[in-house]
Amino acid sequence: MYKLILKMAWKNTFTRPARTLLVITMIAVSMSMMLAIQGLYDGMVKNMIDKNKRSDSGDISLYAKDYRVQKDIKYIIKNAVKIKEDIEKLDGVKAVVLRLNADGLLSTARKSSFASVHGIDLQEEEKFGSFSEFLKDKVNGKAREDALGLGKMSLAKRGAVIGIELAKTLKVRIGSKLIFSTQDSFGEIKSIALKVRGIVQTTNILLDSNAIFVDITLLHNFLGTSPLDATQIAIMSENEKLVNVLKSKYSNLDVKSFLELQPMIKQIQAMMVIFNSITFFIVMSVVFIGIFGVVYVSVLDRIREFGIVLGIGMQYKYIRAQIFLESIIVGLIGYLGGAVLGIIFLVYLRDYGLDLSSFSDALEMWGYEAVITGTIKISYFTTTFGAIITASVLSVLIPLRKIKKINPIDVIKAQI
Amino acid sequence: MIRLKNVNKYFYKDDPREVHALCDINLTVENGEFTLFNGPSGCGKTTLLNAIGALDSIDSGKIYLDETEITTLSEQARTELRLTQMGFVFQSYNLIPVLSVEENISFIMRLRGFSDKEISERVLEISSLLEIDNKLKLLPNELSGGQQQRVAVARAVAAKPKIILADEPTANLDSKNSQILMDMMRELNKKEGMSILFASHDNLIMDGASRVIELKDGVLVDDYKK
Repeated sequence: MYKLILKMAWKNTFTRPARTLLVITMIAVSMSMMLAIQGLYDGMVKNMIDKNKRSDSGDISLYAKDYRVQKDIKYIIKNAVKIKEDIEKLDGVKAVVLRLNADGLLSTARKSSFASVHGIDLQEEEKFGSFSEFLKDKVNGKAREDALGLGKMSLAKRGAVIGIELAKTLKVRIGSKLIFSTQDSFGEIKSIALKVRGIVQTTNILLDSNAIFVDITLLHNFLGTSPLDATQIAIMSENEKLVNVLKSKYSNLDVKSFLELQPMIKQIQAMMVIFNSITFFIVMSVVFIGIFGVVYVSVLDRIREFGIVLGIGMQYKYIRAQIFLESIIVGLIGYLGGAVLGIIFLVYLRDYGLDLSSFSDALEMWGYEAVITGTIKISYFTTTFGAIITASVLSVLIPLRKIKKINPIDVIKAQI
Repeated sequence: MIRLKNVNKYFYKDDPREVHALCDINLTVENGEFTLFNGPSGCGKTTLLNAIGALDSIDSGKIYLDETEITTLSEQARTELRLTQMGFVFQSYNLIPVLSVEENISFIMRLRGFSDKEISERVLEISSLLEIDNKLKLLPNELSGGQQQRVAVARAVAAKPKIILADEPTANLDSKNSQILMDMMRELNKKEGMSILFASHDNLIMDGASRVIELKDGVLVDDYKK
């Protein structure tokens, strides 16, 4: 019997093909737009998180107690090299780097600015977060003829790489000379001359506007600290439990996960979930109203037919099944259309991104890239499938109530 | 066997427009009878047919189908009764427009869970008898009125119910098609042995009926066998 019910549902769905196809198109287009927006929102946040992790904190960072508050070189991790070696042996650890940071004053002959010097090992940073990919070969949209290109940068001979915003503030370019002054580990004010070898844009606001990167060995010598020590140990890891392991193992240190270090990103993530939910709700309302409209009008058109089949003995459950099937057919075809269109949009956004260069200043100020690339998650499709089927089922409740109220005799009496 | 005891039915009860549609009807219809409820428009013949068919309720009295009192049954039980014991033929055919002739004929059989083999054999048998066996793959809107009514009759009899209730089945047909339909229904009555109850004022049906029950203003005024 259900085979016949399915056939009736299918044929009735397309009794008025223009109306049904219009609703299917509406579902497909709105769903694909929603998927594209979801992909873009998630892509924006993913990019931001990815660049923050690669350029700064990794998944987990270790500091000496009080360093993050005092920002003083005396709060340094002793024997950081040994700790790094131990951490590298733990499960799920992909890369570990040591950094030595100090705040001070960065000056040219005419300008000066607060700056934070980061002593790094360029090769280690390349393994950790592909640091060279942050190198900016364009400044203010113009290609730099003096750009070194990826992988060609060197920090030898007091070379330094400077954050793009700091470079703009100090009006320096590649080849410019700078003086960095700070207090060393003995409390003496010291200065060092540096030469700009590269400009980086990490979209990490703090780094872009304050950071200057130099060789870690140079900085150890300059600050008078032991080459075995560091102010930060950053770890890339897929092991979500690692942070708790490290917290208990290095209770004398300040062990922080990425989201603990970047509470703002946690908020942005939460905000994006809200944006996605609102979009999702709007689209599902459109789906619900669309299917409801089609099914309700279709039921009104066929009140007489339902009355007659009830009269000749068809049980209500079969009519209910037929109406559910009609609604699910519309929802399902709309979903399939939306999924195909959505995949096309998402693949395009993932591969080419959405170019918002006209708003690049504002976007980069907030840590977003000018070209926003999307992400694709299976969950977009599974959640939407569930929601569309739910909307399809819910949208027939009122039409079914209408059928339930049919008294066959009223329909039969009304026959001409 | 159908028995009616003191059946009364009102429309607009306790209202100035009140109509006493069926007045104390007492009646017995034996199995296999070819019965006509006859009378002018508004005399209550369709109301009586609907009450016997468990489609409409009555205000007092009792209706029995064999030993089952159908007036006290729940809505679900009445639906089940209509499905298993009765077949209906309406004035305006009421076929399911999206199903083929074959599917319309087998519709009740499928609802009752007959096997595919039983269905195909029965559809072929009935459609041959009603001379629509060459129309099985067509949709109802591809048939003439007479052919559609034959499909409706085939649907009603396919599952071999005990009673066929036909309300003005020839009203939309010309005299030739009416005659063909009546001949076929008489043939079915003889061959299948089911009771057939008509509500009609068509003389053609009156000529063919084995028993005529005359109604006037809801009162049974005459009952005779031919």
